[in-house]
Amino acid sequence: MPRNPLCTPTDHRVTRRRFLGSAAGAVGLSALANPLVAEELKKQRRQVLFVWLDGGMSQLESWDPKPNSPFGGPFRPIQTTVPGIQISELFPQCAKLMKHLAIVRSVSTQDNSHSAGVDRIQRGDPKNRGVTYPFLGSAVAKLVGPGDSGLPPYIWVKPMSGGFIYKDAGFLGPKYGALALGDGKPPENLLRPNALTAEEDDERNDLRKLLDKNYAAQRRTELTEANSHAYEMAAQLQKKIELFDLSKLPQKDQDRYGTHDLGRHMLLARRLLEAGVTFVKVTSYGWDTHGDHFNGAASLHPKFDRPFAAMIEDLADRGMLDNVLVIACAEFGRTPRINGHIGRDHWPEAWSVAMAGRGIKKGVVAGKTNDKGTDVANDPVDIGGLFHTWFRALGIDPTDVQYGNAGQPLPIAHEEMKAVKEVLA
Amino acid sequence: MPLRFSLALVLIATGGLRPPLANAEESLHARIDAVIEAKAKADNVPLSASADDAEFVRRVYLDFAGRIPTGAETKSFLADTAADKRVKLLDKLLGGPEYATRMADLFNVMLMERLGDSPEWAKFLKESFEKNVAWDAMVKKMLRADPKETEQPGASFWLAKRLENYGQNPVDYSGLTRDVGRIFLGKNFQCAECHDHLFIADYKQQDFQGLHTFFKNTYLAKTVVGERPTVEKTPFVSVFTKVQMATAPALPGAVMIDIPALTKGMEYLEPPDKKTGTPGVLKFSPLKEISEKLPTKSNTDFTRNSANRVWFMLLGRGQVHALDLHHGKNPASHPEVLDLLVAEFVGHNFDIKYLLREIALTKTYARSSKLPAGTKEAPDAKYFATVIERRLTAEQLLQSTLVATGNDLKTADTLRPKFVKAYANQAREPEEEFTASLKAALFRLHDDAVLGLLAPKPGNLVERVAKLPDADAIDELYLAILSRRPSAEEKTAITKVLAKHHDKRAEAVGRVAWALLASMEFGVNH
Repeated sequence: MPRNPLCTPTDHRVTRRRFLGSAAGAVGLSALANPLVAEELKKQRRQVLFVWLDGGMSQLESWDPKPNSPFGGPFRPIQTTVPGIQISELFPQCAKLMKHLAIVRSVSTQDNSHSAGVDRIQRGDPKNRGVTYPFLGSAVAKLVGPGDSGLPPYIWVKPMSGGFIYKDAGFLGPKYGALALGDGKPPENLLRPNALTAEEDDERNDLRKLLDKNYAAQRRTELTEANSHAYEMAAQLQKKIELFDLSKLPQKDQDRYGTHDLGRHMLLARRLLEAGVTFVKVTSYGWDTHGDHFNGAASLHPKFDRPFAAMIEDLADRGMLDNVLVIACAEFGRTPRINGHIGRDHWPEAWSVAMAGRGIKKGVVAGKTNDKGTDVANDPVDIGGLFHTWFRALGIDPTDVQYGNAGQPLPIAHEEMKAVKEVLA
Repeated sequence: MPLRFSLALVLIATGGLRPPLANAEESLHARIDAVIEAKAKADNVPLSASADDAEFVRRVYLDFAGRIPTGAETKSFLADTAADKRVKLLDKLLGGPEYATRMADLFNVMLMERLGDSPEWAKFLKESFEKNVAWDAMVKKMLRADPKETEQPGASFWLAKRLENYGQNPVDYSGLTRDVGRIFLGKNFQCAECHDHLFIADYKQQDFQGLHTFFKNTYLAKTVVGERPTVEKTPFVSVFTKVQMATAPALPGAVMIDIPALTKGMEYLEPPDKKTGTPGVLKFSPLKEISEKLPTKSNTDFTRNSANRVWFMLLGRGQVHALDLHHGKNPASHPEVLDLLVAEFVGHNFDIKYLLREIALTKTYARSSKLPAGTKEAPDAKYFATVIERRLTAEQLLQSTLVATGNDLKTADTLRPKFVKAYANQAREPEEEFTASLKAALFRLHDDAVLGLLAPKPGNLVERVAKLPDADAIDELYLAILSRRPSAEEKTAITKVLAKHHDKRAEAVGRVAWALLASMEFGVNH
């Protein structure tokens, strides 16, 4: 029997005040002064890296090759470090790290247009309740919170322009939107103008803080706390300006990740995760290979393979895979049928999603497609099921935790779907 | 004095003897205060003291001139010893040239929710407030959106903007229906689109669908609003009951409007012109129907929502809270106050200026935002015992920043886009409370649109003040930016800072001015 849709919202774990207010910031700051406490806090972090391959990556040239089939294409599968699991030869680095990865090969979703798919997948496609659901990043920002970093909980590294992207937050409200770093560059107005020295800046901010302290001493404190937190976040981001300067990293890192967009952006993402950001999304565009697909894949897929594998390796080396849930996803896969332009078109019916890290079983494949890769063999997994999986991996039970939208309780994931147990640790 | 008589006086003074509605001759503001004070007393909620003159002068300028007072205006108000100086100031501002501009901004933000701007629309709002046009007449024009309207074509922008489609997305008729319900009726029927609301018994699917039926045949004909004939009821089915229903245009809770039977081809008085795209004139126009039936004295949804929103504008919280959740199980915090506001607003033919003035004359409006003496926790906002700090619009912040820093008001047009970008919410996100954001903090910290105003330039605040001795300089900065005098502690702290920068005094003064501008105290109407 389904749960009563009228039950009381339980979503009070992260209150607005804690998110916006100084409480979280204060914990972070005092804790960081004590290295032992800081270490302990780091261990408790729950973080996500969400790699978005916009346009749709082909499952056949990546996680689910179909050699010797009519639609298999020219590339061969290779053995991974997990006996019995093969992936495409275009992913040699990932093959070495398969022992950390989990692949779901039975993903089957609803939308085959980009405009609908990008939103539906990232919002987890819940049942229509007349509200706009948050993107995964905003959802995690809400459900997990900003943690101890003092940085915004949802940062989006993407090519081209950046800014404050509110629309991702849906009904959760703009404060859960994304801070987008266009081409990995810092947000507008982040840097102190040269005319102002650091001492002068401190001096004026100390005065501001004195004023705010006096103001709040006699009044309701919530607004001032929220405002102070915004300034504190600005200061934290500014202090971490070196995050954005990848040139200071060892040459070896830059070589391993690559100097192309996705390589640089993944390296920045690693730095943001190290700094404690709760949710980092990295977007790579240009995967919509309707024509000349195989030459395209030969060039595109290694651009994902290298930095993704380098990321997994680095997170594992740093012990961070215990905290960070890693997901590689797109709005759909690509058609097994090869079109007249030697391309593959949109294929939501049967595709793959890879994941690793926190809460995820290591070195497994869940689900399978039929011999030709045209359909899921059994138990298709829709995006709602993946949302269940990811929330559970983060220690959030979607049958227990709900959103509250102005008194309306809303499930955090499609209530008729279930997690993919085979990939949960 | 006989004992009995003095006791009676005490009771009258505390409002204990006086039933709020007993004396209809009494002014509206006094009757409102009586109810609010009685309820606070009954529930043992302490009231904050009356705002001091500095708080009051800043508050009314922000509310009715859309900016903080200049240093000179503050000084002259503080120095004024007349007993009725607050009423005089209020009436000066209500009759002043900035009133209409301020109201146009306030109502634009509420009505358009940052969906877009249009010069014609801005003109419609400003003219309406200049002439103090009645609220029902304004709403009538907005909902009618008559393509033949020549005097104030901007009125149709409210509807026209919502009939635009973005990219490949279809026109959001559901969103339009929701907005009519939320903004004009105070009822958010969003959850009632597909079924009766699950936990607000008053909100029926019929309400949404009936309202929707007024608008479902409207369309955007270039810049004007057109209507295609409405010839039959809208069928709908609840996703839960699966029972087939149908509705003609109907206001929530009201009877359906008859759809006249017209032969195909005979629906128009004037047919649309396909060549020019000019919409036709219908024999049966649902827009005409709703424009005549919604904004009326007998439509309690409209009157209660309107009065509640005007109250909200000056008090920071509706009598009914949230603003778009009027229903039987969500009563006003002070039902008598809302009844009074409604009765007098209707009685004064929806005269917005009258209602604003009465609310601004209440002791409730004129209380301090500082907590009541001896308390540490703020009383629940629903008591209106302590003034609620209100969000400033991007325009109020822009004008106030220019006034505070003594810079040319003509630069407003160039700076406006930056202020809107930094401070406005995204479209469709009501700006009903203060929200802190990283974007706004970074803007204040580092953007030249702010810092440039603090560089000493001939005649501006920083240049002028830098020439004064410390004590005077600090006084002037506080009066100009925070509309008050500094405390002893603040004076000491700033004197210390200035002492360190004898060689670059103007720059140091600029940084002090920045701290004042970037403070919470400047950023809200408190």
